[in-house]
Amino acid sequence: MTKVRSRNSRTAVFLFAIAGGMVGLAFASVPLYQLFCQVTGSGGTPKVASGPPATVSANTITVRFDANVNPALAWTFRPGQKEITVKGGVPVEAVYLARNMSGVATVGTSIFNVTPFKAARYFSKIDCFCFTEQRLVPGEEATLGVQFFVDPEIFTDPNTRDVKTITLSYTFFSAPGDKDSEPAEPAKQARTPGGDKLKS
Amino acid sequence: MANGEAAAHDGHDHTPTGWRRWLYSTNHKDIGTMYIVLSMVSAVVGGLMSLLFRLELQDPGIQYISDFQFYNVLVTGHGFIMVFFVVMPAMIGGFGNWFVPLMIGAPDMAFPRMNNISFWLLAGALVLLLVAAFTQGGPGTGWTVYPPLSSIDYHPGAGVDLGILSLHLAGASSILGAINLITTILNMRAPGLTMHRMPLFVWSILVTACLLLLAIPVLAGALTMLLTDRNFGTTFFDVAGGGDPVLWQHLFWFFGHPEVYIIILPAFGIISQVVSTFSKKPVFGYLAMAYAMIAIGFIGFIVWAHHMYTIGFDVDTRAYFVSATLVIAVPTGIKIFSWLATMWGGSIDFRTPMLFAMGFIWLFVMGGVTGVALANAGMDIAFHDTYFVVAHFHYVMAIAAIYAMFSGFYYWIGKMSGRQYPRFLARVHFWTFFIGVNVLFMPQHFLGMAGMPRRIPDYPDAYAGWNYVSSIGAYITLTSTALYFYIVWKTLTSGEKVADNQWGEGATTLEWTVASPAPFHTFEDLPDMNVKEAAE
Repeated sequence: MTKVRSRNSRTAVFLFAIAGGMVGLAFASVPLYQLFCQVTGSGGTPKVASGPPATVSANTITVRFDANVNPALAWTFRPGQKEITVKGGVPVEAVYLARNMSGVATVGTSIFNVTPFKAARYFSKIDCFCFTEQRLVPGEEATLGVQFFVDPEIFTDPNTRDVKTITLSYTFFSAPGDKDSEPAEPAKQARTPGGDKLKS
Repeated sequence: MANGEAAAHDGHDHTPTGWRRWLYSTNHKDIGTMYIVLSMVSAVVGGLMSLLFRLELQDPGIQYISDFQFYNVLVTGHGFIMVFFVVMPAMIGGFGNWFVPLMIGAPDMAFPRMNNISFWLLAGALVLLLVAAFTQGGPGTGWTVYPPLSSIDYHPGAGVDLGILSLHLAGASSILGAINLITTILNMRAPGLTMHRMPLFVWSILVTACLLLLAIPVLAGALTMLLTDRNFGTTFFDVAGGGDPVLWQHLFWFFGHPEVYIIILPAFGIISQVVSTFSKKPVFGYLAMAYAMIAIGFIGFIVWAHHMYTIGFDVDTRAYFVSATLVIAVPTGIKIFSWLATMWGGSIDFRTPMLFAMGFIWLFVMGGVTGVALANAGMDIAFHDTYFVVAHFHYVMAIAAIYAMFSGFYYWIGKMSGRQYPRFLARVHFWTFFIGVNVLFMPQHFLGMAGMPRRIPDYPDAYAGWNYVSSIGAYITLTSTALYFYIVWKTLTSGEKVADNQWGEGATTLEWTVASPAPFHTFEDLPDMNVKEAAE
């Protein structure tokens, strides 16, 4: 091969590799995006904690509870309490109630989100029903618990000092690939506030 | 176009004839010609689509298009065709293929057969897109294809899937073309032609090709994810499965913003060549011009979220994207001032290419400043998805970039065909097109500021006045474009023969040293560029 042609081939291989690398980056963006949202709390993604924090605070904040169901899932889903006033750093248990109103056993998965978005990085869940799929037989009602705390740093961070209320919102969907539940109509995705709703 | 009359064949095979010449072409001039023809055909199709919805939008109420899915398909098709099948093929595939080898003194592109594949992939992509429009409702998603509208639940037909495949082919065409152009420019410059002596058009194509290489694969990845979400049960963008529609927006705009620089950078290159030739002066500040294009290309990769200000970003995130977007105005401004400085003190020749180049400078600045307004996240809350955005991007793309294409056409058609365009008719074309596109797009700023959303077939009565004016502008533009096609036909069939260098002392790049029309093979002996002279 002449000198120019072999240089051309090497350049081409290098450039193909760059193009291939960018495709790889595009697919890598999927886990990277999830990781980014989890680390920064971006878009209202709360944190997951293994246990209570080291510090507590006497300051309090109100946590309200919101529940939604995708219309393709024939369940009712409501919070067990409207709101709880919590102290910073003190773990609290809240419940949601879900009932299968259809004639078939169904599996549901839930997604969650916190508003205001900027408060999400200080909202940590220790245990949550959303970590697992929930299966309900016809007519069954389940009491689903979530254990969480609000990091006391929320009171000192200048960005979040003005936050008095945090809303925790869940939406239940029929689990993807669930053969038991037949959607009554084309599945419509319920949009909870924000857009970043990533399961841990 | 290139009539294949090579001055000296010496020992080469005969120039191919008949259909084989075109289907199997490995000649950069012939392939460039095919790209330009494809671009013109697509311009008619894409233009007719916009004419249809401008007809509908002329008056409030629904007059002609009561199938709103079809309306959305027209809007989507218009966008894709203009971006991927008109502007890019004309400037990169057409002028890039024709003049990059000529300007660097190379006999052809680095990979002539891959050049052929690039073209025919694009032709296939165009066919696929048109088929997609008529398949099971077609893709009524806008060129941005956001899920969940583009997901299987809301577009159950195969139209979106065919559209995705069309874009895959077009993307492959562009990636291969980019590899070809970069390799050619880096490795095949004539001896003595260093990077810092290349014509600015070649620089513009080099930067454009690098952007293509980095951006298109991201689109390809995103399209593949959408395809598998729609057909194979993945949930990249499906919330129920843990996915996120906003991820599509990030991926699309990470491609989409560099894409608009891919569209405008070759235009900058053409304008540099034309302004220099018709001022009979080298471009002011050659190095600044080259590095400004590199800066624009680089920064263009880190501003994508200015298309996403309304999705719920944190204020600090928005502040970053506002600042980064405003920064791009700096190297762009350097280029504008440099073109003006090139003209200052020059001997200006107001031929038609120069009219379009000067028009570009003014109209691009107009479109650019509305971009600066939109860059502000606060303003964008009011402007997002209104006709203000439509006006902005049409000024910079449909007006400025098209002006650069016309400027390049009139500048280079003599070299490509050996014939002179009809001068008087060309000026009529210039003025009617100027009037047409400004009547068409200027009122859209007012509509946007008054809150008219985009992508709608009907609107409240309050928006009727400017919509009527805008539609009249569309009909004037249509007439002007019809005149342009007549000019093309007249030039090719009965234009008088032109000299090898029809523009005189201002035309200093290598393409003007070969015959007009350029022979089938040029620079089979590399020119020696080892002379001490100022950079072009």
